[in-house]
Formats: sequence, C-alpha cells, structure tokens
Amino acid sequence: MPPIIAGRPRRKVRFPAAASANPPPQQKIISTPLATAPHQQRSQQRPQQKRPGETQPSSPRPKGKSSGMASQDEPRPGIPALFTQPPLIRDPLVTETTDLQDATLEKCLPFLKGLHTSQKGPFNACGVPALQRDDHVAYLYDSLEDYPAGFVAMDASRPWMVYWALAGLTLLGEDPTRFRERVLGTLRPMQNPTGGFGGGHGQISHLAGSYAAVLALALVGGEDSFALIDRQAMWRWLGRLKQADGGFSVTEGGEEDVRGAYCAATIISLLDLPLTLPPDAEKARAVGLETLTDGLAEYLSRCQSFEGGISGSPGVEAHGAYAFCALACLSILGPPEETIPRHMNVPLLLSWLSARQYAPEGGFSGRTNKLVDGCYSHWVGGCWPLLQSALDGKPQSPGAPQTTVGNLFSREGLDRYILGCCQNPRGGLRDKPGKHADSYHTCYVLTGLSATQHYHYRTDLSPSSSENFASAFSWQSSPVRSDDNVYEKSDCLVAFHPLYVIPHQAAANMRVWCEGQPIAT
Amino acid sequence: MAEGYANDTEWANVTPIELDDGSESGAMPLATIAYPPEYLEATSYLRAVMAANEMSERALKLTKDVISMNPAHYTVWIYRARILFALDKDLVEELNWLNGVSLKYLKNYQIWHHRQVLVSSRTHFPTMPTKEPDFLMEMFAQDSKNYHVWTYRHWLVRHFKLWDSPREIEDVETLIKADVRNNSAWNHRYMLRFGPRDDEPDAGMVNAGKSQSKPEEKGRLPVVDEDLVDEDLKYAQKQILRAPENRSPWWYARGALHAAGRSLGEWEEFVAKFVEGDEVKSSHAVEWLADVYAEAEKTKAVEMLTMLKDKYDPIRKNYWDYRIRMLGQVA
Repeated sequence: MPPIIAGRPRRKVRFPAAASANPPPQQKIISTPLATAPHQQRSQQRPQQKRPGETQPSSPRPKGKSSGMASQDEPRPGIPALFTQPPLIRDPLVTETTDLQDATLEKCLPFLKGLHTSQKGPFNACGVPALQRDDHVAYLYDSLEDYPAGFVAMDASRPWMVYWALAGLTLLGEDPTRFRERVLGTLRPMQNPTGGFGGGHGQISHLAGSYAAVLALALVGGEDSFALIDRQAMWRWLGRLKQADGGFSVTEGGEEDVRGAYCAATIISLLDLPLTLPPDAEKARAVGLETLTDGLAEYLSRCQSFEGGISGSPGVEAHGAYAFCALACLSILGPPEETIPRHMNVPLLLSWLSARQYAPEGGFSGRTNKLVDGCYSHWVGGCWPLLQSALDGKPQSPGAPQTTVGNLFSREGLDRYILGCCQNPRGGLRDKPGKHADSYHTCYVLTGLSATQHYHYRTDLSPSSSENFASAFSWQSSPVRSDDNVYEKSDCLVAFHPLYVIPHQAAANMRVWCEGQPIAT
Repeated sequence: MAEGYANDTEWANVTPIELDDGSESGAMPLATIAYPPEYLEATSYLRAVMAANEMSERALKLTKDVISMNPAHYTVWIYRARILFALDKDLVEELNWLNGVSLKYLKNYQIWHHRQVLVSSRTHFPTMPTKEPDFLMEMFAQDSKNYHVWTYRHWLVRHFKLWDSPREIEDVETLIKADVRNNSAWNHRYMLRFGPRDDEPDAGMVNAGKSQSKPEEKGRLPVVDEDLVDEDLKYAQKQILRAPENRSPWWYARGALHAAGRSLGEWEEFVAKFVEGDEVKSSHAVEWLADVYAEAEKTKAVEMLTMLKDKYDPIRKNYWDYRIRMLGQVA
C-alpha cells in the first residue's frame, strides 16, 4: 500500500510495517521504532532472564500431531499446566482444521508461557503480563487520525472507526467527551435526511453504521450530540427496514440478519423511538405486524441452530458474534429471564457457548472447529452475563441478587489469552499472535477483558421512566473481588453496559434525554 | 478510467458532489482517509448520479470502477443491482464477472448479497443457474468454512427447493471427506436432512419461533422418515470413528436423534467404546454418557461430568460444575 501524504496538516495514523512509512510526528508515549519488523525491539529490555538464547519462536508448524509441538521451554512460574499443554485427547487424523489449530497453538504457547520476546511485561505472580495501558491508549488516539490511501476499504466503516476507538479509550479510563466537536463534525455529513447514518457521506443508511454512530454520540454525550440525530426520520427508516418475518434488513435493499435485529433494538431503545410502526413500514404492515418489535424475538428464535448456538440468519451455522447480537437483542426486548428461555433452548445454548472456550489458549472461538480470536472475548464473552442473568431470574432487590448461578466460563483462561496473546507490543490488541492489531480488535478484546473484571447484574431500578425497555436500563456492575484474579488492580478497566457496550451512564443519559423529547408519530 | 471523469465528454453534463468528510465543520474530522485521487473523483460522480437516481450505462460502468477500488463499498453494490434490473442487463454475464471478483476478495460479503439479489429474480432464473454448485465448490476450495458463501448456499437451497438435490448432499460429503471437522458442511447437511422445508418459515430447526411450542421442542420433526435418520446416524458414526474427538458429528447425531424424537440411549453401546478403561478417546463420548445416565443413574452421570471437569475438558470446569449442580436439583 503506497503511502500517500494528504494535503492536510494533520497527523497520520501509524501502521504496522507494510502499511505506512509515515511515523506520526507527535506521539504521546510511543517508544518503539515504527515501520520496522515486529518483535525485534525490546528484547534487551525484557525483564526476564530465563531463556537467554531464545530465538523467534515462529518455527514452522509441525507435520501432523506430535508431542514435540509444544515448546520445550519451561513456562514462567504461576501458570497452570492447563494453559501450557496441548489438550489431553488429540485425534491422529490430520485435516486442514487440525493443521490450522496446531499452527495456532504453536504460535500461542510461547505467549501463554510468558516467554515470547515481544511480550513487555512486567509479569505478575500468575505469569501474566501487565496490560500495556499507555501503549493501547496511544494506539487508539492514533487510530482516530488520518489513514493512508491503502485504507480506502475502510471508507464505508468510518462510524465504526470512531466508535471502536472511543469505546476502547473509555474502557481504558480516558475521557471521550473531549472529542465531542470532532465526532459531531465527522458524523453530521453521514446522516441521511431519509433517516439513519451511512458509512460515509453520500452512502445509503446502514443499521451497522447507524448503531456505531449512535453509540459514538452517546459516548461523547451532551445535548448537541443527542440533538444531532433526526429521530423522527430514523423511526421512519427503521419501519422501511422491518421485514415481514419480524427481522430487520441492514439497509433498504440489503441483507436481513441478526446484526440488523440487534442494531435496530439498540437504536430504538436508546433513542426512545415510538414502537408503533411508521406509515411507510409496508412489508411489516402487510402481514399484520403493529410495532417495530413485533415478531423480532420469534425471528431470533429461528436463528438458533441444532448445535445450540445462534446463526446470522435462519438455517446457517451457529456463530459467536451473532449469538451476542441475538441474546443482547432479546435482553433489550424484555427481562432476559423471560425472553431468553421463551425463545431459546437454553441447555443447548449453554453447551455450545461453553464449548467456545479452548485450552490451552483460554480464548474463545466463534464456531465449532474454528480458531480462537480475541474479538470473541466480547462476542462470546458478552453472552455470559446475559445468560447468567437469565438463569439468576428476576432481580429481587435494588442491590445485587442474593444468589447467582455464578460465572460459567473460565475467567482465568480468557484473561490469560487476552493479556498474554492479544497485546501488540507496540500498542493495540489483536486476534491472535502473528496478526496485526486494529481498532476493532482493540475495542472488543478490551470489552471482553472489562466484562471478566466485573459482575453484571440487574436491579429493579431503572433511570428510565418508561415501561418500555425498563429491564435493559436496569443493569449495574461491581468489580470482581476475588483471589482468583490473574490480573493486577492496575489492569482494571471501566465497566460497560452489557447490552449497549458503552458506560451505563452514557446509555442512561441518552435514553433520559430522548424521553424528554418525544417525537410525533 | 485512469484518464478521469472530469475530462470525459460522457460525463460532461454531471456536476460531481465533492466529499464532505466533516472537514467543513471546523472541527477536525476523525478517522479520515487520504483517498487516492481517482477514488475521490469516482465517488464524487457516484454521489451525483445516485442523487439523480440515474439508471444508465455510464452509471453502471462507474459502479464497476468504484468496486474495483473498494469492493467493501456496500452502497455501490446496491445501486449497481438496481441499474442492472432497470436496464435489463444480462445477469449471467454479471454472475461470471462476479465469480472473478469473489475469488479475488474472499472475505467480502457485499458480493454475496448482490449475487443473491440477482439470482432471486424468477424472471431471469426460474431454475438455479447451472454453474452455481461448481463455482461454490471453487470458493470452498479457497476457504471451506466461508460464512458468507455458506449463507448464500443455504439461501440457494431454500429458493430453488434443493433439499433433495443429489448435488447438495454430494458436495457436503465431498467436503466432509476432505475435512471431517468442517462444521459448516455438517450444518448444511443438517439443514438438508432435518431443516424446515418450504411449508415452514426458514429456521435453524423446525418448530422454531412459534408461540405454541417450547424452545426445547425446536428441531423435532412432525413426521419422521426413520430410514433416513438411521442412514444419517450410520454416517455420523462412520465419521466419528475417523476422528472421535471431533465435536461436529457428535452434535450432528444429537440433532438427528432429537429430530426423530429418539433417545441418546440408543447409542450407549457405540459411545461406551470410546470411554473404556483408562484410555478415553473422546470427551464428547463422556458427555454423551453423562446425558444418558442423567435419566436414571445420577451417580454415574456425576462421575462422567467429573471426568470432564478434572481431566478431559477442564477449561469448562465451571460449566461442568453447573451441570453437576443441576443434576442434584433434579434428583
């Protein structure tokens, strides 16, 4: 990708080796050389002496199965064998799936053992490296700036770029509101008078882009941000996207899927849009639907597959990202202890969701027989608080519930994967070792980390005065205080609302403001 | 289009709409891109023709130009589909062009929706375009688990009623033969065998999304072809024997038994062989036995779940503990 210098007096986004040769002139805390091969810097500074002669562990993957695939080197102290050894049962038959899985294990093991030269540390008593907070903060600030021409494929995703970076920064304790003016300026040309936001100026409105735009505006908050959204037009547009089977297409003329359902439910509830179908909701009206949410839960029910997980659209393979979208949508539509068991086969769902976590990696995969990926820390990890709340039942008192089914996955495993395998040495988080960081992964890996650090529960209190979606606004959280934590206090992130993926207060502020500005139907 | 639109007489009567990336607002916009000049120009003409809702040959050419620079631009695909229909273009030719684009941009999903929009035209395609299965197999040769391609293939089956088409099951078996762990292929097989047909709404399982039936009833067939179920169970067993620690066929078999309203217990003898003695060959077999024992022999079920928790699948310890607790509550 050729580096093209725009005529603008602004700083450029720095990118891993291939992408850009323009280092940013005014980085906050970047100490690593840019545009050089990864993994080469810092080897001298590393606070560990165990393996002086270590070479780059990017050895070719082994042919077939063998006991020799794991690095022979001793892991750091404090790391259980579960996270350093291949699984006990391994079939001899080699296929493409096992080749890829073995290669991934080979890549992850040095990181899981805390031995890879690129890991910065310091490592704690559990053998887990610290969160490189400053590096990630710098990476995300940087990701909001000017991209070189090679990133033209992002042209339809700019609302996402804004949301991912601001969400990540917020998790890391930064204040997103300082970006308010810039967010408003960026998003304003993307809104269409016919309702919704496109991926950029002159692009047709898309539910994904609109979701990202609405969340970005909620993050920066303030009346100007809320007032930017033409909610009347948004409501009418959503009516045109509503399909006869209860779901939503993502654009007019675009595909219908579970993403659309979740994005629509998020927008409707945060913006307090009328539930009544607007006049132009032709497809939905033709089959007798009366509201924007009619038939939506039933549509989601049809997306559960025989494996128990949830697919992007009915009949397709169960997938972690869609599972979150579906469960979060159901939990917006009503209390999860009602909506989830009414529409999902819960035992089957639990089994599938639980099977997404692998050892020794500790991270989640999105589908059966696929690889772990840091972004599922949120998509799969984010399903757990929702299911936990569904199993815990109706909240009994304003405080945390007395009894809880507890946490049903391995927090330790996920935290080890995130902190050990997903941190890019120069900032940003990634899918897995060997992959570049990007703001998508940075946002969702951090969201996943935050979710493991907090206990999410619902109360019978809601900042919203409305009956609609009262449950969605009744979530609270408290930090997990446990001797089992494998991260340090200094690695703790801000808590996010488990449905809206922004701070609780940011969601409440937007909702409450919108309730004060009812729109005419 | 390297020579540009501004100097092209064909485009002389169009006033391009310049990109507003937010710079005009006074605040520096976020996540901007230093677009290549040719992209900036093409998209400014795109905005202009779209604003005028122009359905023309030159607009069609323009969409191709923009796609060649950024196939992730969803708007241009939707616009292109509308023009193709408005001008009554040859859609087979369009499909042929799409094949190349799809192979070049394997991760792109806009292409697949576009393809679906075209092929869904009954006027143009009363039956499935004959080369579709071959092309899809070509795609699977690049990435046998490509989610968008499988989504499209699922749609194709529903649209052209291909559940019993020999080619569908053949391709699934070819892919499972090549990689028995291809869960996407297993999912497709389930849909062919047990998925709802055209008298029911599209769903991952029959009986889904109905107020009168419980979620636990999802997937249960009203009428069962026992021979077909037996054949499928035999197929699953054969695949399990190739690689017993592969989750896909185990859960496929559970789905098949559930569809037929049959019990996991009928596999007890087959499954027990993987859990004999000290050498357990499949954690899925252990879990299967736990479910079989849960009916009447809770102690043995707890024993199985404890094996999973302590030895064969310890990363899921909390889940196995939960399962053990649930057994206690039922007892």
